[in-house]
Amino acid sequence: MLRSRSFFGWNRPKNRLSLEHLKYLYSILEKNTTVSETNRSLLVESLRCIAEILIWGDQHDSSVFDFFLEKNMLAYFLHIMRQRSGGASFVCQQLLQTLNILFENIRNETSLYYLLSNNHVNSIIVHKFDFSDEDVMGYYILFLKTLSLKLNPHTIHFFYNEHTNDFPLYTEAIKFFNHPESMVRIAVRTISLNVYKVENISMLQFIRDKTAAPYFSNLVWFIGKHILELDNCVRNDIDHQSQQRLSNLVAEHLDHLHYLNDILLLEIADLNAVLTEHLLHKLFVPLYVFSLTPAPPMSIALLTQNLAAVLNKTVDIDIQEMSNPRVSSVVALYLLSLVFLVVNHGPLVHALAWVILNGDQYVFKEGAAEILNAYIEGREAVAPGFGAPQESLEEALDTVVGHISVSSDSYSEEGAASLLHSKSTGPVERTNITDEEKERLRNLDNSMSADMARPFLDMILSSLDCSENDYLTLLGLCLFYALANNKGVDYEWFDRTLMKSKKGSCSYKTAFVNKLIHIALSASQSVCRIRLITLQISLRLLEQLTKPNTDDCCITEQQQASLFAAKDQAMSTLRNYYKSEDMFLDLFEDEYLEFTKTNLNVEFLCDDETILLPPTGTPLTGILFNRRLPCGEVEKARRAIRIFFHLRKICQTFLNEEETLLPLTNVKNCVNMDNVLDLNNSDLIACTVCYKDNSKQRRFLVIDSQQLILVEPDSKRLGWGVAKFVGFLQDIEVAGDKDDSRFLHMTVHRGGASHNRAPLLSARFQFDDHIRCMAAKQRLTKGRSKARQKKMHQIAHLLEMPGQTVLDSPALQGSSKWSTGSGSRSRSDQRPTMFVNNRVPGFAAALRRENVPSAGISRVQIAQNRSVEGIRNEGQGRSRRRKSSNSSNSSGSNTDAPSTSSRNRSTPRSRDNSPRMPRPRSEEIPMEDFQHSRSNSPTIVVAATKVPSRSATPSRLVFEPSSSRETSNSVVVQPVLVSPSSEETSFMESERNSNIQTV
Amino acid sequence: MSYAYLFKYIIIGDTGVGKSCLLLQFTDKRFQPVHDLTIGVEFGARMITIDGKQIKLQIWDTAGQEAFRSITRSYYRGAAGALLVYDITRRETFNHLTTWLEDARQHSNSNMVIMLIGNKSDLDSRREVKKEEGEAFAREHGLVFMETSARTAANVEEAFINTAKEIYEKIQEGVFDINNEANGIKIGQQLPPTNSSISGSGNQGGQTNGGCC
Repeated sequence: MLRSRSFFGWNRPKNRLSLEHLKYLYSILEKNTTVSETNRSLLVESLRCIAEILIWGDQHDSSVFDFFLEKNMLAYFLHIMRQRSGGASFVCQQLLQTLNILFENIRNETSLYYLLSNNHVNSIIVHKFDFSDEDVMGYYILFLKTLSLKLNPHTIHFFYNEHTNDFPLYTEAIKFFNHPESMVRIAVRTISLNVYKVENISMLQFIRDKTAAPYFSNLVWFIGKHILELDNCVRNDIDHQSQQRLSNLVAEHLDHLHYLNDILLLEIADLNAVLTEHLLHKLFVPLYVFSLTPAPPMSIALLTQNLAAVLNKTVDIDIQEMSNPRVSSVVALYLLSLVFLVVNHGPLVHALAWVILNGDQYVFKEGAAEILNAYIEGREAVAPGFGAPQESLEEALDTVVGHISVSSDSYSEEGAASLLHSKSTGPVERTNITDEEKERLRNLDNSMSADMARPFLDMILSSLDCSENDYLTLLGLCLFYALANNKGVDYEWFDRTLMKSKKGSCSYKTAFVNKLIHIALSASQSVCRIRLITLQISLRLLEQLTKPNTDDCCITEQQQASLFAAKDQAMSTLRNYYKSEDMFLDLFEDEYLEFTKTNLNVEFLCDDETILLPPTGTPLTGILFNRRLPCGEVEKARRAIRIFFHLRKICQTFLNEEETLLPLTNVKNCVNMDNVLDLNNSDLIACTVCYKDNSKQRRFLVIDSQQLILVEPDSKRLGWGVAKFVGFLQDIEVAGDKDDSRFLHMTVHRGGASHNRAPLLSARFQFDDHIRCMAAKQRLTKGRSKARQKKMHQIAHLLEMPGQTVLDSPALQGSSKWSTGSGSRSRSDQRPTMFVNNRVPGFAAALRRENVPSAGISRVQIAQNRSVEGIRNEGQGRSRRRKSSNSSNSSGSNTDAPSTSSRNRSTPRSRDNSPRMPRPRSEEIPMEDFQHSRSNSPTIVVAATKVPSRSATPSRLVFEPSSSRETSNSVVVQPVLVSPSSEETSFMESERNSNIQTV
Repeated sequence: MSYAYLFKYIIIGDTGVGKSCLLLQFTDKRFQPVHDLTIGVEFGARMITIDGKQIKLQIWDTAGQEAFRSITRSYYRGAAGALLVYDITRRETFNHLTTWLEDARQHSNSNMVIMLIGNKSDLDSRREVKKEEGEAFAREHGLVFMETSARTAANVEEAFINTAKEIYEKIQEGVFDINNEANGIKIGQQLPPTNSSISGSGNQGGQTNGGCC
């Protein structure tokens, strides 16, 4: 190429993108009309350059295009294309690329029209390229796709010739509908849909009359063959070995179904009628519905027939019919479910639903034509049968194009008019069956006597029997669900049909409800036969069928009692797994989260090919937990928990009750990140959090009854803090540090069934001294076990465990609330702001409450002392505080006076207790910090953290001198700082401080 | 042309982000990028060599096929690699990435290698999406990221070849079931090297001796 180009280099125009260059290239085409070994590289390069110049010309210089058209250069293209010698395929590839570039990049509409105006493009389309070359195939089909995207009511005339009844773009494209390369098939589908979309009556009439029957029959046959392959795969894959292959087959089938649906959604009535008929008569009824009922053994059938012949009687056995292809009932149920999940085209789904609900074997002979006729007038009855089309698509299309004029006469104007008419009324018909049609259908329904056999409906009903396993049950439920929820199937009609009495017993509806309840009962047993998903769908259907809490709720008392018995059974099954181990609580909460998260989506479920295979327990198959049986004790426990949740919920629905006991954690009472908390009544431990990346943060540790919170003092409000981290106590792991007793290693795991196994927080906590460290550790460990214990009690209560006393759970009471956000607190209720509810012994915070529930340790005493003191001092402190805050406001300076004074006043009394108390203290919140940060003096806060940890209350140390302004107190301050044994007192002071300081 | 493997790629992203230009730039370097002229194509193939093996990359642009559900759900399947392209000068094309990715993840086989591409890096003055943002998005979703320019050809080669390398590695690791053509990988007929390499030198046009003109 390089050589050839430089060879011609001298008389080549300098400007690559110019009219001159195009003229020069034209001269090359003129001189090289025959492709040979020697000139093919030159030709390829010329064709490539032509594309470049034309696009440039389209955007910049119209004379370029004029020249191209004037010289009729497309004709040269064709001429080159038609040569079979001298590596023509190679040149063809370039030609196709040039054409692709041309049609893809052209923006000027007139240029496009000119390009299309002489029939050259159609000649190119019908040219038989070497399609065995995958690149040629790719360029060719995308060339057609590109053209199809240019179709509109104006351009359609360039492609569809009304007079010759010729539409090569479409007819050539659909010949590749079954090409092995998936991208080619996709392009073919796109092209056909783009064609159908164009609103042109005569073109659509051509499509319907000449191509629809052959195309759709081939398409349907191809889909059917694909299904037999799928069925074969299911039959031979009982051990989940070729799951990938099955997955592809299912995905491919769904592609077909969605393609058919996309055609139906275009609402071209006449086309839809042809397609509906083909689908019903050639696939859905003769293969899908036919396969619902099992084939009687051939020998018996023959015997019966012979016997009948001997006895001179006729029996309704068709030997030939029996040898028709059949898929397993599992596959048949699945395929029908897919139809109803994907397709909503009224006439199609309604007719199919009618066949399933009312039909019998007779339908295979007479066809669903009668049903279909209820929708579309003037259709000939077609005997259903699944078989190969008489002609291959290619043959059929060739004959169509051959006999143009003859056949076109037979289609009168009337046809065109009806097409137009039906197109406009199409949408209405699809979404709403007209009254007239309803009437017709009703008559049809009535004509079928009530006590006629309904083998298909019986089969679905019996598939719900899960005494052995739920293999067929799940698929039966899917179909039932899909039928009941399809927009094209009138639900009222569906419901009415089910109400019809079953032979000699209750109605079908009652039978169904009984089956559904039976599934629930089986699921509640400790023997695991029913998958979670099966229970989920059946409960959903139960709700839909019986409509609880409405006027037409139709569940008998007996049925309801059975349902409640199922719940009780599930509860007692679950009790067997109730253990005091940590794991059970984690599982319980995980499963609750999963339970609330999972939304039943049957369409999504049916995308999963694994439901076609026998239920399995092994997680190695990669099947989701709720779609398989449990494996091992843990999973059995998980399943039992989940089944209990499901049954509990449905029972509550029937009783019209609200859930009050779940979730175990009342989220309303939880602190969230960045909440601003009133910490005046809480117990804080100062610490430095050292993260893995060596970053450090100074924080205060707050321990609630259920949460662990790291706060930072609020810069705006005294005594308040901002939560910078929150984690649940039940999820923490604490360990001391071997080398430094002031350190704790703490990991806070993520609760719930998170797939994120990374902990929420994993850091080293440094405390001011080892005593505080020990205190923190103890509180955290105790807090953890208490939090867990409480939840276990809640579960016991939930499961009505024998011998368990009723607990007041936080979930039950909504009173325990953090006051967050606004600072408007009335003075009267200022005490019970935080950590008020459900104190459990072991919590320092609880000690401050007047009504500590129970605690067998000496700390209670102190707590009582303290709280009494707190109350005593409160009044005084408050008034003092008010005074001081006034003064501080007026003077603009910070004063610790009120806090110190109150602390000092209480110190002597509390100190009496402290020596006897080896209990490590927790750090008070340094109110000074708050005050200072409020007045924006960060330097002091920094200084506070740097104070040697040796001191008991480092932050106070800094500020203590300022408090000496109140001379009467300053004397007492000293012992607090010096003696470590007085820590307890300072702790209590702080608490008092906080009582006082709140405004 | 014989090859050891054929990898099928798809290119996805909003219209106008330069998908077909990227494709043409990669498959056919004979087209010299000229200012103010955008030429693209929706299909192309090119041979590359990885680890001494001839690998054919076949790239399908899916543009214009988004209107139908049956089409969108099917074209992701059957591709071994996907280039997810946005335009760095148009913020909205970046914002739509999540939707594209969700679609791709939902319908593709889980092993499909997805590469995120910020195209038009030559138009730095009109940039609306920072490179860091692209990097962050890629990191978050586990994609490989690159900024390219179909016009200056910067990184175009690398984008396609790096994706191929990753697919190749996955094959070596045994992650891909190469016998399943639905994975977008085909094993070529292992013909002994014949004189096709000689006559084929011109066969792929600029694809093999590209860059010479």
